[in-house]
Amino acid sequence: MDNYPVLIVVAPLLAALFAGLAVWIEERLSYPIALTGLAISVFSAFNVLMQVITSGPIQYRMAGWAPPMGIEYRIDLLNAMVLLMVSGIGLLNLVASYKSVKQETYDRAPSFYIVYLLFMTGLLGVTATGDLFNLYVLIEITSLTSYAMVAMGDRDRGPLASLNYVFIGVIGASFYLLGVGYLYMQTGSLNMADVAIILQSHQGSSIVLTAFILCIIGLWIKMAFFPMHVWLPNAYSYSPIAFARVVAPLMTKVMVYVMIRLMITVFGLDYIFKSPFFADAVVWLASVAIIFGAVMALAQKNLKKMLTYIIVCEIGYMVGGAWMGNQLGMTGAILHILNDALMTFAMFLAVGNIVYKLKDVELSNLTGLFGKMPWTMAGFVLAAFSIIGVPPTCGFFSKWYLILGAFEKGAYHFAAALVISSLICAVLFFRVFEICFFSPPSENSGHKESHSHVAMAEAPISMLIVSGFVSLSLIVVGLYSGTIVNTIIIPFLK
Amino acid sequence: MLYGTADFPDWGDPSSPASTHLSDYYIEKTIEDTQVPNIVTSVLADYRGFDTMFETAVIFTAGLACFLLLRDFRGKKERFYRHKPTGVILHIKDGKKILAVGKEFEHMDKDWVPSDLIIKTVCRILIPFIQIYAMYVVAHGDFSPGGGFQGGVIFGSSLILLAISYDLKTLVKRIKEKVLGIFAALGVLIYVGIAAICMPMGGNFLDYSKLAPLVPGDPHHVRALGMLGVEIGVGFAVMAVMAIIYINIVSEGRHDEGL
Repeated sequence: MDNYPVLIVVAPLLAALFAGLAVWIEERLSYPIALTGLAISVFSAFNVLMQVITSGPIQYRMAGWAPPMGIEYRIDLLNAMVLLMVSGIGLLNLVASYKSVKQETYDRAPSFYIVYLLFMTGLLGVTATGDLFNLYVLIEITSLTSYAMVAMGDRDRGPLASLNYVFIGVIGASFYLLGVGYLYMQTGSLNMADVAIILQSHQGSSIVLTAFILCIIGLWIKMAFFPMHVWLPNAYSYSPIAFARVVAPLMTKVMVYVMIRLMITVFGLDYIFKSPFFADAVVWLASVAIIFGAVMALAQKNLKKMLTYIIVCEIGYMVGGAWMGNQLGMTGAILHILNDALMTFAMFLAVGNIVYKLKDVELSNLTGLFGKMPWTMAGFVLAAFSIIGVPPTCGFFSKWYLILGAFEKGAYHFAAALVISSLICAVLFFRVFEICFFSPPSENSGHKESHSHVAMAEAPISMLIVSGFVSLSLIVVGLYSGTIVNTIIIPFLK
Repeated sequence: MLYGTADFPDWGDPSSPASTHLSDYYIEKTIEDTQVPNIVTSVLADYRGFDTMFETAVIFTAGLACFLLLRDFRGKKERFYRHKPTGVILHIKDGKKILAVGKEFEHMDKDWVPSDLIIKTVCRILIPFIQIYAMYVVAHGDFSPGGGFQGGVIFGSSLILLAISYDLKTLVKRIKEKVLGIFAALGVLIYVGIAAICMPMGGNFLDYSKLAPLVPGDPHHVRALGMLGVEIGVGFAVMAVMAIIYINIVSEGRHDEGL
């Protein structure tokens, strides 16, 4: 079927609308509808990826209009990979969410699924589209649904975190839109490929430079690149865990994807790296972001907050790698989009299981967890190793490419920041392990038994299976990262 | 940003890229391609119909978010009832005790104010005309300025006018929350559905021209009809979402009192 590219995006949208109708008839229908929608999306994304690998990029014309007139989806290796990743994580999280949504948002569970589906639609659309304005519209959907979700979280702090997020998010989106407006002023076109061709004859124009800066700053705000990260920790840690599990790995990574897409496809790497000063400044900023994120993570007392600062740190890796200006750095950045999404997802799945049982994830509250939830903690340890960058897990390989890229460019400060942050992550996670493994369970943790005999109290089986599956995939992706680089990333960059 | 404006084309310059690259195509080919005299509509609902579909989804999301965050299903703690024949007001503090509302008693809110007869009458006369005008704006989107968004807003404002001139309960009684919710989802579904039906008909997503076997009449006119269909969907969605947002915001999600 030729319609797979659009089905990836439209299937969740249709499912959201059907679920919106079903809510008024039979509330329980919304969950199976949501599952079906995302399953179709994953299936289509898988087919598209296979098709792209075998026969090259796919162009899909909306309404049949030729590209500069109408909107087109242009799916090449990079976004085919990201599409499969986004839809897959969306589906897996939905499987794991059934129980936790029931627990957290019992009276609004059906609406939760509708908003969730719309959020997935937005992310998938952002990734698939080949049109600058269409991208903006879908960013709007993604953001709007995130605001609603964050506000649904923590009863006291959720709404305030959401309000902060709204203010900063709207500014980010406006920057991007303004940038697109400037581009339209210069080119008269919104199609990425068309704009790229026209821009080649306008290299020196100040409009193009301003447009570029505006777009990139807008995206940086959206992806929480230091120092525009202030909205992220609160927004993500106070949202319902079923949503945090999907927004934390995907939202920022998709924005990094958009940045790379703009850099490579629209403006062109030659244009960006013509003057080395700008790129150097960005790599420095990325180094600062990495160190800052890691140190702030170390200072946190709450597990969720700690992880959100690690996201800030990881964003530094990807931005730095992409602005390195050489193939190794870009490879590392793209590989890290995939790896970081997977490991953050695995991490948040484990945290989700803990939240399901404990409600509160202050570090001091986690004592004795290895005894209580051994499977969850096994997943947690794997994810932590991957974030630290211990070899067979996938986190190691992308960091390796990033460091090689940094050495090739001579950006030793970036390599140093990367290594230091990995060490800080190691300290960070081993501190958590220590609390969970060695500290005796506190008296008020609900168990009257002696310390040596802690009753097992694991999360529901659906959550455990997903958590285990994703954690194991960290190793599998790690072992096959050579294949991923050779079949997807290198051919894309060529 | 100011630096960027230095290279801007002149204000209204007919040879600027924005007015030469694509605009020419739209201006020259719209009638031939779509048989819609209003170029804005053809760009909005056909050439770039995919964007508009998601804009409608954005509106749906906004309504949903309002509903989700504000709607309060908890019952009220205190209730007020009015005994109709005598006008005596009963104040019942026990939240569980509910009087049968019917011929003798009616619900009353704490800050209930009798609405003004003149305002009520004038609005009662105005509302049907506003609604007919709204439908006209939706239906005429193909030919003149107008369309689903504008028509939907006008229709929605007529509902809000009803709520202001009478009271919120009158509106909620006339149009149930369920109906509004279904209309909001259905409106977007009409749009996405029309677009999706094109795929099994052998076209790309949104390719209205492939719908020709389904609609009677001139097959060349089918794109215009497709646009009319999606405009109606947009109208439904916008109307319902306007009302949902208004009802939830003024009553803090309780759907009983308010402005």
